Amino acid sequence: MKKLIVKGLATATTFAALSTAAFAECGDVQMAEMNWASAELMANVDKFILENGYGCDVELVAGATMTTFASMNEKGQPDVAAELWINAVREPLFAAMDEGRLHSAVAGPITQLGEGWWVTPSFAEAHPELDTVVKILERPDLFPDVEDPSKGAFVGCPAGWGCQLANANLFRAFDMEAKGWKLIDPGSAAGLDGSIAKAGDRGENWLGYYWSPTAMVGKYGLVPMDFGVPFGGSENWDGCIVKAEQDCADPQPSSWTQSEVHTVITDSLKQEGGIAVEYLAKRIFPGPVMNAMLVYMGDEQAGGEDAAIEFLSRHGDLWKTWVSDDAAAKIAAAL
Amino acid sequence: MALIDWSKVTLTDPPQLPREVLRELKKGIDGTFREFSRGYGEAIENFFHPLLMFLKWFQDLLIETPWPLILVILGALSWWGSRSWKMVVGTVLAFLFIGWLDMWEDTMATLAIVSVATLLCIAIGIPIGILMARSDRVQSMILPVLDIMQTIPSFVYLIPVVMLLGIGKVPGLLAVMIYAIPPIVRLTNLGIRLVDKEVLEAADAFGSSYRQKLFQVQIPLALPNIFAGVNQTIMMALSMVVIAAMIGVPGLGVPVLRAVSNQYLALGVMNGLAIVAIAIIFDRVSQAFGKRLQKHREGEHGA
Repeated sequence: MKKLIVKGLATATTFAALSTAAFAECGDVQMAEMNWASAELMANVDKFILENGYGCDVELVAGATMTTFASMNEKGQPDVAAELWINAVREPLFAAMDEGRLHSAVAGPITQLGEGWWVTPSFAEAHPELDTVVKILERPDLFPDVEDPSKGAFVGCPAGWGCQLANANLFRAFDMEAKGWKLIDPGSAAGLDGSIAKAGDRGENWLGYYWSPTAMVGKYGLVPMDFGVPFGGSENWDGCIVKAEQDCADPQPSSWTQSEVHTVITDSLKQEGGIAVEYLAKRIFPGPVMNAMLVYMGDEQAGGEDAAIEFLSRHGDLWKTWVSDDAAAKIAAAL
Repeated sequence: MALIDWSKVTLTDPPQLPREVLRELKKGIDGTFREFSRGYGEAIENFFHPLLMFLKWFQDLLIETPWPLILVILGALSWWGSRSWKMVVGTVLAFLFIGWLDMWEDTMATLAIVSVATLLCIAIGIPIGILMARSDRVQSMILPVLDIMQTIPSFVYLIPVVMLLGIGKVPGLLAVMIYAIPPIVRLTNLGIRLVDKEVLEAADAFGSSYRQKLFQVQIPLALPNIFAGVNQTIMMALSMVVIAAMIGVPGLGVPVLRAVSNQYLALGVMNGLAIVAIAIIFDRVSQAFGKRLQKHREGEHGA
């Protein structure tokens, strides 16, 4: 039955592609609504814009990364995964892209996203000259550890997380112990968030590991630090930094590996949904805007739909650059 | 602002605060606490600073003390407590095994925080228990607090503790103490209240002052109960080791957490068993000590 539908769809796709120009009527689009806040928001913004601006008929399908990807890869449904983190599905995704079953509509739909080392905004303001990790590492005195104020505290990743290894190896790679630093294990996500909350609330200096997009980054205005060294090559990163200490004898300094996030679409949508694809390619959320929206969602306990409307009414100047003037007017009217 | 949204009340939905009011209430509480943390957090942190230094000093001391000396001290302690060679040999063997499996440092860190927590619990808990035994009013006020401390999920008080004091040893110690102090308070109270009225009358008849009655009659007679409380406090402190690790307290809880999030079976079991070994040793030694106290009393009765 399902195969029949897929075949039917494929035929319809070919037909549509043959018979109409790229600006076809926008038809039914199925979009994945992933189970975390930023992806929920993106899916709902897409839905609102496509439905009200371009007259598409959008259905949201809940899912997680692996399940959504498997379904898109095997069955060609849903049509869009707005925020797909590549690292988890790298090999099968690139295979599917090579075969032309899946396409990337836009690489990096949210800017400044990924993992890295962050500082509290009060530090960044007070010390604009210390703008890279390498420079900060010379000043452990600015981040005194409570237990031993002669050392600088670097808050790493909670015990047992994959990033714990990477942080511990980078700690060694930058020779931080000799420079007077101490690697703090926050114990859990709650411990990590708590240490940020405490430092952020009191305007204290804090240096540690975090990632974006997150509400914590938005709420406390954490500033990502450039490492001051280039990425040290995938051999150093994948072959050493992310491995256990005994498997990584000689880690080299490196910036954090890039996290790749794409908006992935199916081939049928690429062929058929001209307007939708064009919109998706332009739809890029600046990191700070996304983080602020995540704070809003957390504070107000807002779901994706409410947050999408809040985003559209707050950031008109942003999304109006994603759509045509005609569509912008329609969307504004629908708000 | 209406406090009940009557339009939503049905047979299945009880009266409840309107959603906005509830949200404002939660935000208000969070905001108030944040203000408090901003205003007083540093002062509170400074207040606890000596404790932090002591904890760190004690942990470093345990880690840097040569292992044979630690074994001798532990063996001597278990002899003093239990007067049993089996206990002494068992203790030494257990710790040798722990060292052999590369858990020595974590075990010392755990011993440090558990023993400091236990000592503080005793120092604070016994006076509170005595106060409760003296006055029914104090008892009726403190009992519900103890109930809360024992039943409230630890994660709930970890949040404000971490916001006030950050992560590390002091907040971990406080979390352990909140959980571990109730038994010593309860059993001190109970032990003193259970002291025979006639014995007290006899003490009164001899004209003893309140002080004499308390320190020479009530507390000695309540000691077995108090010791049961100490024993329970140690056990509960040990059981909090993993929770404390979640807010950055070093010790055996850290590898357990790492094992849980990575499905490292062996690592988890080994460190878990190390916690069990310490618990059994502490339990047997303190129980044997308590029993010796009791035997002494029974002997007196029999005589």
